Amino acid sequence: MRKKAISIHSSRGGTGKTVIATNLAAIYAVKGVNVALLDLDFCAPSLVDVFSKGISGSVKHWLNDFLDGRCRAEQALIDVSKAYGLKGKLLLGLANPSIEAIRNMMEKSRAWEVTAVKRLFSLRSRLFDAMDVYCCILDTSPGVQYMSVNAVVSSDIAVAVATLDSLDLKGLENMLAELYDAFAKRSVVLINKVFPETRVWSSDEQTDLIGKMEKTLKHRVIGVIPCYCDVLQAKRTSLLAVDKPYHPFLRNLEEVAEKLDGIKEVDMEEQVLAE
Amino acid sequence: MGKAEQSALKEELLAKLVDELTLVNRKLSSLIELNEKMLKMQEKFLRVGSEKPPFGGELKLAPDVMTLLSLPPSLRKTAMVLLKLDKATAEDLARETRRLRPVESAYANQLVRMGYISKKREGREVYFYIESPMEIRK
Repeated sequence: MRKKAISIHSSRGGTGKTVIATNLAAIYAVKGVNVALLDLDFCAPSLVDVFSKGISGSVKHWLNDFLDGRCRAEQALIDVSKAYGLKGKLLLGLANPSIEAIRNMMEKSRAWEVTAVKRLFSLRSRLFDAMDVYCCILDTSPGVQYMSVNAVVSSDIAVAVATLDSLDLKGLENMLAELYDAFAKRSVVLINKVFPETRVWSSDEQTDLIGKMEKTLKHRVIGVIPCYCDVLQAKRTSLLAVDKPYHPFLRNLEEVAEKLDGIKEVDMEEQVLAE
Repeated sequence: MGKAEQSALKEELLAKLVDELTLVNRKLSSLIELNEKMLKMQEKFLRVGSEKPPFGGELKLAPDVMTLLSLPPSLRKTAMVLLKLDKATAEDLARETRRLRPVESAYANQLVRMGYISKKREGREVYFYIESPMEIRK
């Protein structure tokens, strides 16, 4: 398996980024792959709550501290694989949820952002070269914000998650054209919460939808995931890949993981850069 | 001491206490205000520090991701690779971008002239790098 950093991003909130990022990371770790999952949504941190069952004691160092240069990469990562009985390592980099930390992150200067993106690249190298991590998943904040763009820039593959909401798709279309393509990123689209799970959905219908989406968005659609009520209603601390490994949501996500593994390394010459 | 006297004393003490607390409160407010001003000044200082005038290729502004978007695609590619590599020769850049070394050298030197990146000589090699506006320990 090729080492890669995957950013999970969307144009708007509520598309299911975090559920996808956490379960994608867990799917890899269940298979025995060492994974890092980084919470880069510093305005609305959530991974600290999602993984509260697996984090023993209080968090000593946050990703905020690492980006601020107050701790080393290793200190900002927590291995929760034992707590969830995972074969591979699952290293978490958590964003500090305190209001003071959020306020502090919102007041950062452009100068700080340059250092932050450089530190993200150095964290990536450290994970891949020294910590035996094969996949680094970056859970970002929605829309075009410094840290979400930093995450997209420092990743190898950008996964844009969208629902079929027209505003969501319009925002995504702009983002793909003006952001992802501008950075020459290998980017793919994942459509989530499509129709209720109870609806009978033929494979032709699915192929049609993917075709239409790819034509509109001019990017590859790597998956279409139905809207599962129990996933939406489940406690956010429940890790589906561990608690309900046979859930159809996970089967969909496993297919996405396989497709992500099949994506070639970023070949900048192939990208749509109009030089 | 009679009850009336006791109650008068109590009232006097309470009034004193309220006065003292008001004073402490006022002092705390001015300290908070001062601290906020200092933080703002510090932030401003850091911003100004990264925006030195571009005379003679001096560092103007290290390219954050939003600045990268405003660059032409050819230069953006070089700057992005430099963010990833930290410091690189034209040959290192060419290996990553899969362009020719002289082309990469021209783009990197253009970025130096624009004030986005810096270069230094180490022995026979010339290295391009993005100066961290806020250098932090590794």
